[in-house]
Amino acid sequence: MTVPQPTPEEIEERATIDRSTRFPVMFFFTSAAAWLLAATLLGFLSSLKLRVPGLWDECQFMGYGRLFPAHMNALVYGWAMQAGIGVMLWLMARLTRNPLRHITAILVAGHLWNAGVALAVCTVWFGFGNSVPLLDFSAWVWPIIALSYTLIVVWVIPMFRQRRASLTYVSEMYLVGAAIWFPWIFLTANILINKGTAPVMGAGLSAWYITNLIYFWMAPVSLAVAYYIIPKISGRPIFSYPLATASFWLLAFLAGWTGFSRFMGGPFPAWMSAVSGAATIFILLAVFATVINLMITLKGCSKLWEYSPSLRFTVFGMLMLALYAVLSALSSTYSFGKNLQFSHFIVGLDTLAFYGFFSMTIFGAIYFIVPRITGAEWPSGDRIRTHFWFSTYGILTLVITMLIGGIAQGGDMAVWDRAFSTSYVNSSAYVVGRATAWALIGYSNFLFLYQLAQMFLGRGRKSEGPTLIHAKPGEANSAKAAAGLS
Amino acid sequence: MKSDPFVKLIAGISLAFALPWIFIVILPFIANSNLEALPYAEGEEVEGGVTAYPDKAFYRHGSSDYGRQIYAAEGCAYCHTQVVRPTYAGPDMWRPGWGGREADGLARETQARDYMLETVAPLGYQRIGPDLSNVGHRITTPELMHQHLSDPKSLDYNSGMPAYMHLYEESPYGEGLVPTEKAEALVDYLLSLKKDQPVPSRG
Repeated sequence: MTVPQPTPEEIEERATIDRSTRFPVMFFFTSAAAWLLAATLLGFLSSLKLRVPGLWDECQFMGYGRLFPAHMNALVYGWAMQAGIGVMLWLMARLTRNPLRHITAILVAGHLWNAGVALAVCTVWFGFGNSVPLLDFSAWVWPIIALSYTLIVVWVIPMFRQRRASLTYVSEMYLVGAAIWFPWIFLTANILINKGTAPVMGAGLSAWYITNLIYFWMAPVSLAVAYYIIPKISGRPIFSYPLATASFWLLAFLAGWTGFSRFMGGPFPAWMSAVSGAATIFILLAVFATVINLMITLKGCSKLWEYSPSLRFTVFGMLMLALYAVLSALSSTYSFGKNLQFSHFIVGLDTLAFYGFFSMTIFGAIYFIVPRITGAEWPSGDRIRTHFWFSTYGILTLVITMLIGGIAQGGDMAVWDRAFSTSYVNSSAYVVGRATAWALIGYSNFLFLYQLAQMFLGRGRKSEGPTLIHAKPGEANSAKAAAGLS
Repeated sequence: MKSDPFVKLIAGISLAFALPWIFIVILPFIANSNLEALPYAEGEEVEGGVTAYPDKAFYRHGSSDYGRQIYAAEGCAYCHTQVVRPTYAGPDMWRPGWGGREADGLARETQARDYMLETVAPLGYQRIGPDLSNVGHRITTPELMHQHLSDPKSLDYNSGMPAYMHLYEESPYGEGLVPTEKAEALVDYLLSLKKDQPVPSRG
């Protein structure tokens, strides 16, 4: 079964829609990529500082307690969310067949967002933070971030309302969900934490915020991408649409309950971490149903992975989503979680979400979108391949070393009469893996930013055929042709 | 009413969020807000004429309010937790000094009221260093605490803690390192960290 070929009018219409999104979407992508490079540098420095505590002792800006949160804020708000917002705008315009309007408002709000992120990172880095992971910035910064997000993403709703396609795609459902859920969790967490009347719930909310950001924003946006890119490139419809819709609702009804299991045994009523743990385990159903659905869609097209950059990044991102769901389900059971709680594992788990599944899927989307909105092809397929492999090796190195290092550290901490510093000494070697990972990821993203800047400046390759991996430029007019599939 | 897919979608995603939002965020937040102190029962022996748990004087020490901000700003919570878990979740209570004064039979897991002077309980992210819930009982003098901050390796060679040199300055009178106002406040805060005040029997 194949998807019907578009008519010339439809191709012209798509080109109009793509052109309408060009300036805001390219703005979000390039500034996000610049933030990503800053975040990888901060990630590398913080890992180095953790491994060699004596480094830069005199300098207050180089302490781990400032570098690490600055890195997390730059990675999540500067890169991940900003790139995700760009993808949301383009995808919504394409799916609903509406050109993007209010370009000026979106660009102004985009600058406001970047200013907000810069303030968030700098307030943490310069010593005004409050040590609440991902919400560390000074209290006056969050309204800027919330306002600019709303001013950008609010346009997604009228676009969906006026959609001209006959069906409601599951990607649209994910995008509308993500658009609405993020302000809700962000405002709730910030208002309640800054209110400060329930200190213990403030800490619990910070854990709730992180898992909700992952399952209520990052997972929906990356799934919207996967549900679009995988059928588009393989030329096949989704294997089971009812299953896709059902897993959307399953994820939606479970995601909000997660988070408190990160503080199992903490000063909360025990039912809270139990409910969170159960929800995290049940999410496995939604994630597996989704990932298997997407993989069956690709059955028999595995050669496409060799050629299409978008598909390769997206599929890898989906596999990492499954890995993330498994690891977080494991860590929310008492037997496994109590030893990994507070160990290096938690860094591996969070980074797996931010970089492993979200960023990799978004890279896939960016490799798909940018040639369409700039009207030029990526300069080099080899650089895309290097970007993929360095990122893949980087994130896998980080997750594996942090998992094994976390087990080593947690094992030492679980022996009550062993000196506490043993857990530090025995696990600190694994932090070398974390520093190495950020160096690899840093190199891959230098190449990514370089290519993206070339596209932004209009120096892309002018050609009929797309840039593919393992194929000479212009050799084939699609990944399917290169892979020899009809 | 004609069913509009848009309205149905918005209603669905709002309901999906509203349920956990009410039941695991808002209601527990209200229940945990402005916790009242629990009075001790008649005849319960408590030192220092303290009548209720928690007692603010028990948790406050010098400029510990400013020190709390330094603790947060320096990101101490990224390497140190302040949560003592019950034994089913880990051996925290067995570690010497972590749960409080074992010798007096006062060691216990941390409870919500122990964090009454905080705005956000610094439960922590990782345990690169030891738990600090009761560090005020383990390190009792300001001198030793300053040494811990300015030269941790001199106390434990295996320590992974960096020296917080920017909190200290060289004395102009040749007296070596002198703590800044920030270091004094941070030490006051750390010395105030005690989470083993006896809990009233009916609490």
